[in-house]
Amino acid sequence: MGITPHNRTARPVWQQPVVQFVVAGLAVAVFLAWVTGVLGERLAQEQAIEDARATTELLAETVVEPALSTGLLDTEAGDLDRFDRLVRSRVLGDEVVRVKVWDADGRIVYSDEPRLIDRVFELGDDQQVVLDNGGSDAEVSDLSKSENSLDQGLERVLEVYTRVEAPGGEPLLFELYLTDDNLEARADELFRLFRPLTVGGLLLFLLLTTPLVWILSRRADAAAADRERLLVMAADASDAERRRVARDLHDGVVQDLAGTSFALSGIARDVEAGSALDRPRLNADLERLAAAVRRSLLALRSLLVEIYPPQLQAAGLGAALQDLVAQAEQAGVDVHVSVEDADGLSDNATALIWRTAQECVRNALRHAAPGRLDVTVVSEGMPAVARLVVADDGRGFDPGAAVAAESFGLRGLRDLAAEAGGTLTVESGVGQGTRVTLGVPAR
Amino acid sequence: MSSNSKSTLTRIGAVALSGAVLIGFAAPALANDADVIRRGSCSGASDWKLKASPENNRIEVEGEVDSNVNGQNWRWRMLHNGSVSARGTATTSGPSGSFDVRRLMVDLAGTDRIGWRATNPATGETCRGSLGF
Repeated sequence: MGITPHNRTARPVWQQPVVQFVVAGLAVAVFLAWVTGVLGERLAQEQAIEDARATTELLAETVVEPALSTGLLDTEAGDLDRFDRLVRSRVLGDEVVRVKVWDADGRIVYSDEPRLIDRVFELGDDQQVVLDNGGSDAEVSDLSKSENSLDQGLERVLEVYTRVEAPGGEPLLFELYLTDDNLEARADELFRLFRPLTVGGLLLFLLLTTPLVWILSRRADAAAADRERLLVMAADASDAERRRVARDLHDGVVQDLAGTSFALSGIARDVEAGSALDRPRLNADLERLAAAVRRSLLALRSLLVEIYPPQLQAAGLGAALQDLVAQAEQAGVDVHVSVEDADGLSDNATALIWRTAQECVRNALRHAAPGRLDVTVVSEGMPAVARLVVADDGRGFDPGAAVAAESFGLRGLRDLAAEAGGTLTVESGVGQGTRVTLGVPAR
Repeated sequence: MSSNSKSTLTRIGAVALSGAVLIGFAAPALANDADVIRRGSCSGASDWKLKASPENNRIEVEGEVDSNVNGQNWRWRMLHNGSVSARGTATTSGPSGSFDVRRLMVDLAGTDRIGWRATNPATGETCRGSLGF
């Protein structure tokens, strides 16, 4: 029973390479979008902090410090009012939500939140460093600190402080609280900058490569289908070969050996009876039986050669082909085998030539009833091509009509020849014999 | 008096009472109880007014001088707990010949003393007023 290629059922969508490629690409795009978002936010935060420090230092130098007065330090109400009006008109806004001025003792000299004025809190280490050494610093505000107890309504804010000096030279700490609305807007802006470069680039790459992946996938599928077809054909050929060997053994050697066995049993009985022993006849019978055994041995040897040819290398190709055609010679076919310049053939070329010759000789004996059979191997050209020609003068066939009925073996050989970079052609006509030509690279 | 006339008077009385009640409840909504207003006369023929109102943790202070003469130049000052919170000059204008000034002051702990000074250098007339808020 032959094996047929199983139907190639359509794979589920998620197992299709193109879909997997696109899904993986989109996953990478989403990941990149997330990464650029995180990086954008981080960069935006760093940039916002730098901008906040610069803004704070500029306001301190140009607005706050010139407006400081000794009366402010002494909590004079009029000085507080004037400073407050200045802060409300030129410092506070959408971005700046709180202003504090501290003295070195941690007393809040001024705040736009009047309830904080004149209250004392412990300065943090960073604040003390700025107060002592100048410069500025920024951090996300800890709204749980007692100095921020009146700021619980605020969202996340950035706390920036820098040093200013009162008219008498006393160092003060000027502190601003800035909302991070600007920070989020800046992160969005940076994200918009990165997104076309990363995510957009990847999506464009996906768009361009998906058709290529689709084409490659189709080709891979086609190659897999070819391989599967060849495997099935090889399995079918092997199955047919086993059946043929069994049939040949049953119809040939087994029948001959059975007949020989019966004949020997009869002779044995005659010898045991001892009566009327006709020695000349006995001698002739034994000679005939010996010849039958030799024919069986020859048939078995020919069968063995067919199953696995000995010395199937370039040097042994001629002898292997002679063994191959022994059965045809026995059948009375005029066989001519010629092998020239075959010493340099590669093992693959040798095996393909022998396999093709085997199939052709077998087909000729089975279907063509030839009177003459020529098997020729030559190596020619540069680069060298090994050419096998198997020609018979048998009944031939119509090549156009024979395609469907062509043996699996010949079709398989044509595929094998193509895989080896060669060609196999069949020329025939009804009553005109058959000529099969195989050309393969010799090396 | 007929019963109909009695009924009509009763209705009128009820409507009038209802109106009075409504007006009585509406009046505080129109005037801010937290406002503190002081008025007075200057050393001449002018009048002054000083008003303080709460405004988002601040005190909105409004000082006014009404001289009934257009085009007079005045120097003014606002004091907060004795120290000068704001100062400037103004010119009377409008039908009433007056000027007014508004400033915000920090609402400090305790009672804030707010003063209003205005001087007409041409006539030597002075206005002085104060209030506690």
